[in-house]
Amino acid sequence: MSDETKIDLELDLKGLLCPLPMVKVSQNINNVPVGGVIRAVATDPGAMADIPAWAQSTGNEVLSADKEGSEFVFLVKRVK
Amino acid sequence: MEKVQLETLTGVIDKKMNRQLKQYIDICARCAICKDACHQYVGTGDFKYLPARRAELIRQIYKKYFDKAGRFVPALYEAREPDDNLLDELYDSTYACTGCRRCMYYCPFSIDTAWILSVAKAILIAAGRGNEMLGQLADAAIFKGDNAAMFEGVMLSGFDDISEEVRAITGNPEHKVHVNKEGADVLYVALAGAHSIRPAAVIFEEAGENWTISMFEAANYGFFYGDTEKARIITKRYIDEAKRLGVKEIVVPECGHAYRVAEFFYEAWSKEPMPFKVSHILEKVDDYIKSGRIKVDRGKIAGKVTYHDPCQLGRNGGKFEQPRDIVKAVTSNFVDLTPNRAEQWCCGGGGGIVAMEEFKDVRLKSGIKKVEQLKASGASVLACPCENCRLQIEELNDVHGLGLEIWQVIDLVVAAMPLPGSQRSVEAAPAGEGANA
Ligand code: SF4
Ligand code: SF4
Repeated sequence: MSDETKIDLELDLKGLLCPLPMVKVSQNINNVPVGGVIRAVATDPGAMADIPAWAQSTGNEVLSADKEGSEFVFLVKRVK
Repeated sequence: MEKVQLETLTGVIDKKMNRQLKQYIDICARCAICKDACHQYVGTGDFKYLPARRAELIRQIYKKYFDKAGRFVPALYEAREPDDNLLDELYDSTYACTGCRRCMYYCPFSIDTAWILSVAKAILIAAGRGNEMLGQLADAAIFKGDNAAMFEGVMLSGFDDISEEVRAITGNPEHKVHVNKEGADVLYVALAGAHSIRPAAVIFEEAGENWTISMFEAANYGFFYGDTEKARIITKRYIDEAKRLGVKEIVVPECGHAYRVAEFFYEAWSKEPMPFKVSHILEKVDDYIKSGRIKVDRGKIAGKVTYHDPCQLGRNGGKFEQPRDIVKAVTSNFVDLTPNRAEQWCCGGGGGIVAMEEFKDVRLKSGIKKVEQLKASGASVLACPCENCRLQIEELNDVHGLGLEIWQVIDLVVAAMPLPGSQRSVEAAPAGEGANA
């Protein structure tokens, strides 16, 4: 993802066990404006499927989901 | 309320209220014995959390539309229309309920308030007032199941990483997480989290079990949400996968509701017999220890250890002794909570409430009985199956400064196994870590 993406909310989800990372993103999505972006960092590999599945089923968008060492970094955009 | 919506709601009640439930709402003597059994009422003193009061709301709607006396003289029989006020109150009292069924255990008529509230959830969902978070989590699980191929790559890569950790713990280069293995005897239906897979894989591999996992998980937010169709679809994924792989047995993880769904509800939802034996992982582990298939060392866990019965596994699932036998096998310093087994206090974290921020205040207040029990035990280590319970007790641990170490039971077992990297399992996944993020 490009470095210019404006981040509206940072979520530190390190150490949280699945499905908690997905729950936390879901709980926080309304804390950013429509079009806003959450950057979430998780350590549970299950989040790599959970967060994109949550985004797809709720009509939001995962701009990127990257493994960086032992961390999983998500940029999630609120669509509606 | 508009006529069409009212017809929808009364239709739901008509469909869901079977003979047994009608009997419950008729025979309640309003003795209020249940009030002292409910951790939420005890912790908050709020009338709306009194079990009989929660059921009373359903009774009031039922009387209004399905009972002659209530239809003609509603005031006398406290018959009420499901207006916004009633539905607001019903929402709070229903989604806050952890489904622990402690009220039923103490009720002289064994009235199952949690079952009555399953009708309340169906009414709320039909009225467009189901809990949004639980609904989203259920839909995400269904989407994930419908599109398993989309997630296969990331999941396989995650399983590879866990396999490496398993080998580091056991020291055996052959050990791994078996995925989609046809002809396996056991399908382990894990949670999505690595913490649910890693210690189980160590135990299965060390026991020489012919096992596998699949792409489908055991967590079932459709059940917590109160939509049996969503719950059925989520469960059916792994049942179908078990059939395809030809396994003989399904083993569910420590998670309490997952066990209840597979063992007690799926047959009724799907209207077909469960084609496999269903076991809880702690039944398997207890058997492995007792039969000598895995070795545990009683001296490796320091401190006084206690055990919390998750309501769905204990009071509602009947599994009291196997988990205790496991804990007693890994420590010589075990102390039980008082009361325990069927009388165990609910920790306050069940029923999906840990995912619903709006109930955080009542959830924490309702944990007071658990806090008192834990303090009285003098234990420094808590063995606790069930994800929801661990999340709640971790938070109570912080708020009340209990200083407890909280462990998943299978993590305790791995830590007690004489393996080169067994301590690593504990460091990698302390139970409930990060619950307060
Ligand atoms: S204990 Fe049973 S009979 Fe008494 S009020 Fe509660 S639900 Fe009704
Ligand atoms: S099931 Fe548990 S939380 Fe629900 S009303 Fe009964 S005692 Fe209270």
